[in-house]
Amino acid sequence: MKPGSKKLPVPGPNRRGYFPSLWSDIWKEWDLYLLLVPGVLFILLFKYTPMYGITIAFKDFNIFAGFADSPWVGWKHFEKLFTSPDFARVFQNTVIISLLKIIILFPLPIIVALMLNEMKNMIIKRSVQTVIYLPHFLSWVIVSGLFIDLLSTNGGLVNKLLVSLNLEPVAFFLDNSVFRSVLVTSAGWKETGWSTIVYLAAFSMVDPTLYEVAKIDGAGRWKQLWHITLPGIAPIIILMFILRLGNILEAGTEQILVMYNPVVYNVSDVIGTYVYRQGLGNQDYSFTTAVGLFEAVISFTLVIVGNALSKKYLQRGIW
Amino acid sequence: MRQDLDLKTISAGAGLNAIKSSTGEKVFTVFNYCVFILIGITTLVPFINLLAKSLSSEDAVVSGRVGLFPVGIQFDTYKYVLQDSLFLTSLKTSVLLTVIGTGLSLIMTTITAYPLSKIRLRGRKWLLLMFVFTMLFSGGLIPTYLLMHNLNLVNTFAVLFLPAMVNVFNMLIIKNYFEGLPDSLEESGKLDGAGNIRILIHIMLPLSLPVLATIALFFAVAFWNDYFTAMIYITDPELKPLQLYLKELIVSSSGDFLKNNVDLAINMTPQSIQASSILLATIPILLVYPFLQKYFVKGVLVGSVKG
Amino acid sequence: MRKRKSMVVALLGLSLAVSGCGGGASKTESPGASSEGTKGGDGKKEIRMIMQYGLFDPAKEYISQYINEKTGYNVKYEMLPAENGNEKLNLLMANKESFDVMKLSSEQFYNLATSGALEPIDDLLAAHGNYINQAIKPESWGSATIDGKKYAIPETGTGATVGEELVVRQDWLDELGLSIPTTTDELYNMLKTIKEKKNIIPLTGSKDSIYGDIATTFGVLTDWKEVDGKLMHKAELPEMKETLAFMNKLYKEGLLDTEMPINTAQKAIEKFTTGKAAVYKLAWWNAGSTISALNKNFPDAKVTVIPYLRGKDGKAVTGVDTKTNWFIAIPKSSKNKEEAMKFLNAKLEPETFKGLAIGKEGVHHEVKDGKYYPILPKFNDDLGNASAFITGVDEEKYPIYWQARVRKDPVLQNYFETFQKNAEGIIVIDPMSVAPPIDAISKNTLKLRTLLDDNVLKFISGSEPLENYDTFLQQWRAEGGADMVKAANEWYKTKK
Repeated sequence: MKPGSKKLPVPGPNRRGYFPSLWSDIWKEWDLYLLLVPGVLFILLFKYTPMYGITIAFKDFNIFAGFADSPWVGWKHFEKLFTSPDFARVFQNTVIISLLKIIILFPLPIIVALMLNEMKNMIIKRSVQTVIYLPHFLSWVIVSGLFIDLLSTNGGLVNKLLVSLNLEPVAFFLDNSVFRSVLVTSAGWKETGWSTIVYLAAFSMVDPTLYEVAKIDGAGRWKQLWHITLPGIAPIIILMFILRLGNILEAGTEQILVMYNPVVYNVSDVIGTYVYRQGLGNQDYSFTTAVGLFEAVISFTLVIVGNALSKKYLQRGIW
Repeated sequence: MRQDLDLKTISAGAGLNAIKSSTGEKVFTVFNYCVFILIGITTLVPFINLLAKSLSSEDAVVSGRVGLFPVGIQFDTYKYVLQDSLFLTSLKTSVLLTVIGTGLSLIMTTITAYPLSKIRLRGRKWLLLMFVFTMLFSGGLIPTYLLMHNLNLVNTFAVLFLPAMVNVFNMLIIKNYFEGLPDSLEESGKLDGAGNIRILIHIMLPLSLPVLATIALFFAVAFWNDYFTAMIYITDPELKPLQLYLKELIVSSSGDFLKNNVDLAINMTPQSIQASSILLATIPILLVYPFLQKYFVKGVLVGSVKG
Repeated sequence: MRKRKSMVVALLGLSLAVSGCGGGASKTESPGASSEGTKGGDGKKEIRMIMQYGLFDPAKEYISQYINEKTGYNVKYEMLPAENGNEKLNLLMANKESFDVMKLSSEQFYNLATSGALEPIDDLLAAHGNYINQAIKPESWGSATIDGKKYAIPETGTGATVGEELVVRQDWLDELGLSIPTTTDELYNMLKTIKEKKNIIPLTGSKDSIYGDIATTFGVLTDWKEVDGKLMHKAELPEMKETLAFMNKLYKEGLLDTEMPINTAQKAIEKFTTGKAAVYKLAWWNAGSTISALNKNFPDAKVTVIPYLRGKDGKAVTGVDTKTNWFIAIPKSSKNKEEAMKFLNAKLEPETFKGLAIGKEGVHHEVKDGKYYPILPKFNDDLGNASAFITGVDEEKYPIYWQARVRKDPVLQNYFETFQKNAEGIIVIDPMSVAPPIDAISKNTLKLRTLLDDNVLKFISGSEPLENYDTFLQQWRAEGGADMVKAANEWYKTKK
């Protein structure tokens, strides 16, 4: 807090240095700032107050010694992560699985939302909407069980089908060449319906008179979709994409922990699962925090770069 | 503005394929319905299977013989779950948490989003950065726990929703929506002499029902599904929400957990009871969406734009 | 207007102040938790106890009323969550919350004891622990003793009992004219015949239970084994490689369920009960539901327990780990250490303990031919969760009392008793069962067990060729295995 302005701020646009004009702007919109106060206070209290915990990434944290008395160790935990023989493989898996999920699963809810939007029969449309988001409410344990049953080599539906087509059965959960597709497919099945909701709400932003004008001009559905609907929801797509980038090192730890098995570690062991197994039996808070910090720095960089690019080329961004 | 531009490009050369596309459109419509009915079935089947399991005899469930229809039908599982005091208390906690948490969070998140949607706001960039930063960086569990302890929030109802009230992700979605509302709305309000808060309440919010409904749903589902907060901060059984109860029911029946605890293994919860608990714990939240759907109407903006 | 502005400034300032304070918050002692004092509302002394997870509300259990009545203490229980229990315990400890008694898993105990969070209890035991000292055998204290000081009351469980054994569909053996195998070769031949004749999965199993009957015939029993006076971990044994070679052969030839690396116990039972698999390593606590489901599906099905197979030397053996299950400790932060010890002692008063374990005779249990049988449903209603409340057992009597739990169901009882009879006289007890907490071991056990099990599944399924076992072993040693073995042997030398 800089007590920059003893003098009453000068109203109007004429600027007299940074701070006086800042204060005058704040003064003019005091009610907007007032609205911000609770939110800012909340994150300062609940998010920023505990931030000192990040320091343990550079300490050998002992829960009984506490934060102040644990010794500083510099970059030790980061070195441990980067020099671990598994790091390269684990990092690579994380990025590959995450990119697969972004490339395949990011556009999917948008396509589904657009297709739903084209449905004219309200009853079917609403029922479909209500039904496709159901899997979001199933836990990964249950979803994993379903996929294991479905893809089993011992009476699973998919393999029965393959056999009846004279194809070799595939042990989907035990085959390094297909296991990643199992991960992506099951994640898509579970979350696509849920992810459409945010786009469905965005359709209400599009002014219906635009469609009427377009119809008069003879634009078909496809053109309407491409030139009215899609641009209408573009801002939310951009926002979601930038935020998705920030999650790139979270390839779905919860899902993978439930679904993977040692036979497919080579293609599915990601940072989150690796850290989980390393921490078994001895909670290494410092190491975990170091890994988290590493992930956060990369994510934050990506969000900032993504936002800058988006502002430059699409004239839109988070800030 | 960009929409207007696009519109011009369509009008330029659209008339030609208007007739041609109508057959294509029919094919598309049929295809569209078929695809969704198929998807709908795949997403519905697991729930029907759960329902069937919950109504089947344990013998049939153990041997995995239950598909879409109950085998050896019984209703005792429901009687058992609905008489279980742990289940009922946690149901009460969850309903209360979801209603109170969603209401307060929605207000809090909206009033934070609105000022940040104003590009003219000085310091907006830094404020937004400050919020986004918390999405990626966190101090970790231990300092947060110590904070909650110092605020006397451990083992209280408030700890279940207070820390989650300003959700940055949801805030950004609302802000994004506000940014899409035409500036003319605000200007007309200003002309009538209204302050920012009045403009927000009387002009902006009524036009934002779709996004508010969406975010309300996000909050409601997040509060309903959250077991982690309670697992960390709550030991009082009276304050445990339903999802924590469910999680513990399932974890405590899993092989990994039982390996080391023979006494729990003897008392293992039958799978049919697990199925009915899962179902009973999911149905209430599923009812929220159809209710909110009516706010997902198109064209909220029609006629509201003056001039 | 001016006022409003200053309000905004004040609020922002306040928020900064709050966030500033937070940094130091961890150092301040928390007064809230311990200020409840030693007296409860009704004049009884209050004890705060941490217990392990169970699916019940401790305050509402019959047994918690019973304990309050018999001991004269008012006990407040806090339960660790089913998942992340260690994490929660750490948070409580980081917070320096004041508990008087904690029931800890071995991992939690090692962790807290080596961090200096627990009170040595020798003096307290001498002053107030007469019943405890009677109940616990001298050799059991070893697992709770560090540098000559006792840090907890060890709670051993059921005694040396075995949990799982191979079971086979006898009706199919009869149909194919096969007899119960007694060696791994015979087992192999039997599985092969079943595969050829019935085209089903001969042997199924789950990823959670890899070793057992087959591994024991090769000499892989429990985690540790004495070889020429030195301790070896099972990962280092040449017998392990033999076991894996055999299992891999079964897997390759389709005699072992190819889905074993993803099978849960539930899934394997599903296969066994629907007639998709012929042999399964069944745990007796699953026997009730498994056999009942099987008989529902196949009324003619008969199941036989395969007695332990004989090894190369013609002898059958099985390994049991009699490690202490739970550790009952008093934390340093407790304000009522003496009362805590008196409370624990009162619970082991013989009559009180009997009531805790099996309730009242005629109400909860009855005695038939010298054995305790539960009276249902009263036994389940009142005592179903009693084990969670137990803090130390009468080591002579508890294994006998405890069996009442098994007699809740005749099928369960039958399988339990058959398994124990088969194991009689051939049990080898893990030499590390009575070891004290050793840092290098407690730190690494869980991580290395996961590493070993993961790799064992890879070798069995052939996704990693067995030639690479030594490479894996090197990694195992480098990640703490070598330290662990060294520390184990240092202790073993002093023991002799």
